[in-house]
Amino acid sequence: MATVRFPLRWVRLNGSGGTGAMPVGGREVVIDVQDLRMVYPAPKAGVAPTVAVDGVRFQVGRGEIFGFLGPNGAGKTTTISILTTLLSPTSGQARVEGIDTAAHPHDVRRKLGLVFQKSTADEELTGRENMALQAGLYGQSGPAVDARISDLLQQMELASVADRFVKTYSGGMRRRLELAVGMVHDPKLLFLDEPTLGLDPQGRAGFWRYIRSLRESKGITVFMTTHYLDEADQLCDRIAVIDHGKIIALGTPKELKDGLGGDILEISVQPGAADLAPLVQSMAGVKSVARREDTYRLKCSDGERLIPKVVLASEQAGISVRGVTVAKPTLDEVFLELTGHAYREEGEGPAPRIPPGDAGAGAPGGDRP
Amino acid sequence: MSFPAISLIRREYLRWIRAPTWVISGLMSPILYLLLFGQAFDLGKLLPPGTPAAALAQALSGAPNYFSYFAVGMVAFASVTAAMFSGTGIIFDKQLGILQRILSTPISRRSVFLASLVFRGILTLIPAFLVVGFALLLAHVPDVAGLSLGAHVTALDGVQFLVAALVLSVAFTALFLSFGFAAQRIESYFGVVTILQLPILLTSNAMYPVSIMPTWLQYLVGFNPISLAVNVMRMSLFGTSGYPYAAGIYLAGLLAWAALFVGLALLLASRALRTDVATPGGSALSAAIAE
Ligand SMILES: Nc1ncnc2c1ncn2[C@@H]1O[C@H](COP(=O)(O)OP(=O)(O)O)[C@@H](O)[C@H]1O
Ligand SMILES: [Mg+2]
Repeated sequence: MATVRFPLRWVRLNGSGGTGAMPVGGREVVIDVQDLRMVYPAPKAGVAPTVAVDGVRFQVGRGEIFGFLGPNGAGKTTTISILTTLLSPTSGQARVEGIDTAAHPHDVRRKLGLVFQKSTADEELTGRENMALQAGLYGQSGPAVDARISDLLQQMELASVADRFVKTYSGGMRRRLELAVGMVHDPKLLFLDEPTLGLDPQGRAGFWRYIRSLRESKGITVFMTTHYLDEADQLCDRIAVIDHGKIIALGTPKELKDGLGGDILEISVQPGAADLAPLVQSMAGVKSVARREDTYRLKCSDGERLIPKVVLASEQAGISVRGVTVAKPTLDEVFLELTGHAYREEGEGPAPRIPPGDAGAGAPGGDRP
Repeated sequence: MSFPAISLIRREYLRWIRAPTWVISGLMSPILYLLLFGQAFDLGKLLPPGTPAAALAQALSGAPNYFSYFAVGMVAFASVTAAMFSGTGIIFDKQLGILQRILSTPISRRSVFLASLVFRGILTLIPAFLVVGFALLLAHVPDVAGLSLGAHVTALDGVQFLVAALVLSVAFTALFLSFGFAAQRIESYFGVVTILQLPILLTSNAMYPVSIMPTWLQYLVGFNPISLAVNVMRMSLFGTSGYPYAAGIYLAGLLAWAALFVGLALLLASRALRTDVATPGGSALSAAIAE
């Protein structure tokens, strides 16, 4: 029986259940965003200005891994830039640790670590020197900081290349260095803009493990953007799905998928058997039944529980069941349902489909080198 | 200077010490001028035979020979040429997103600017020293003209020479740094800088005495920051006779230029380092974010 394992945590985090709209239930609010809008001015007359973020509001609680999921150009980087004080919003308000990002950017910068979408390390410096520079920019130096830097490089599996120039690093090493650099001043709040872009499946799985362990060991709050559906699904406690600058859905991955109307149960029966549809249609939890030859597709909630009932009822009616599969809805389908258009990951290649609960192991290709 | 600014200077130093090639390219022109132009073009030889030595010394503002006169001009020229590279780093930092990262940390914008000015200013001074040393060395090579100092150069004169060289370096470092803050691309930066280089040099008294110029040019030359610095430096080495003003006046003029250029650089830097506005079409900075 196919089951989907979610990160164990979300259950505890959102224990009250169905808290999608009122997210932070009991948790201290770390990020508070109200009606945020960002309009980039038109580059020249006759061209419309770009509304990159269009009235976004959400809250992130202490210790959450909060995902901003959306295709390219959705407004993720713009939002993260506003939250990290690199841009002032056209209107609306963002508070980080209770501090208004527009009014007190300097104080906000002290509170957060930031990993950019593109590599920002100095290529002419070594990895370790980049780390020391970053620490220095936060006013930190000395043996304790050096030890911390070595430690982080170790954790990121960069110890062996720590004293090599960054220009000799592979793409994966660069991404890991970015993360280490963002962590160097020991922030309690991490902003990650497409942190796994360009990582191979192993690298991504390692990154997920690291982020989870950070949250586990230090209670760090993570705000991350991604355009990988599976990443949002597996790593994030809650997801805001953003498209064309608007949040179109917000909740735990399970809530989003359940909101779609449940699972797909596929039942194949002996050729020539009697019609199964009338039998299952009336069962509790079944929403619709479709038939193609000897295969029936049931849209239902809680597909696994339905299996024994369906099989029993069929056998009693003399219909021999040959096989049953249950398919869980994916965020792809959520996105399609919400926007009316298929999820696009253009330019980035298809997102690797890592089997749920089996992160990194034998994911089919499609990732960038 | 704050600790974060020192980290930035350390970073610049590490980059520079690993690829100091630009020192060589910055030194190339002044050294060639000293070795070739300065050797061949001896104004003294153009005077009619029998001209008293005092007349030559007067034309050369007290310098014992043309080469010595010219060499001091080349010290200033070396600074200006070296300063031409001051704004390149900031452009690359903008393009590569490194500036973005720096600005996302709590370091103050002023520290970012000051770190650039201090480090680049010091770098600009190095070629000036090297040119002085090289010109002095040439005096000991047979059959080669070199820099000979006046008889009574005191320690105070030496300090005055250094101050003039330093202020000139700061002034042009700031000027070219401000172009670096303003420019989005290295091509446009060098476009402006190379256009400026020759006119700045040729409207100065670095290579030839003011007294032989037409009046209109004399005015231009008189206000040129290179001329002001070179006047002070020559007065330090060869004496003050023949100058209409005291060295302090020239130094004050030079300081005024430096203040103007530092002010300009501050203005353009504060614009370039603003992260809180989205400019039409997106600045290099916001483009770097969106990339
Ligand atoms: N500096 C800028 N100037 C003008 N338009 C921009 C700028 N940065 C981003 N945009 C536009 O804003 C929209 C959102 O961009 P972005 O926030 O980078 O999306 P994402 O990170 O989700 O891919 C896009 O249409 C993009 O072209
Ligand atoms: Mg982006």
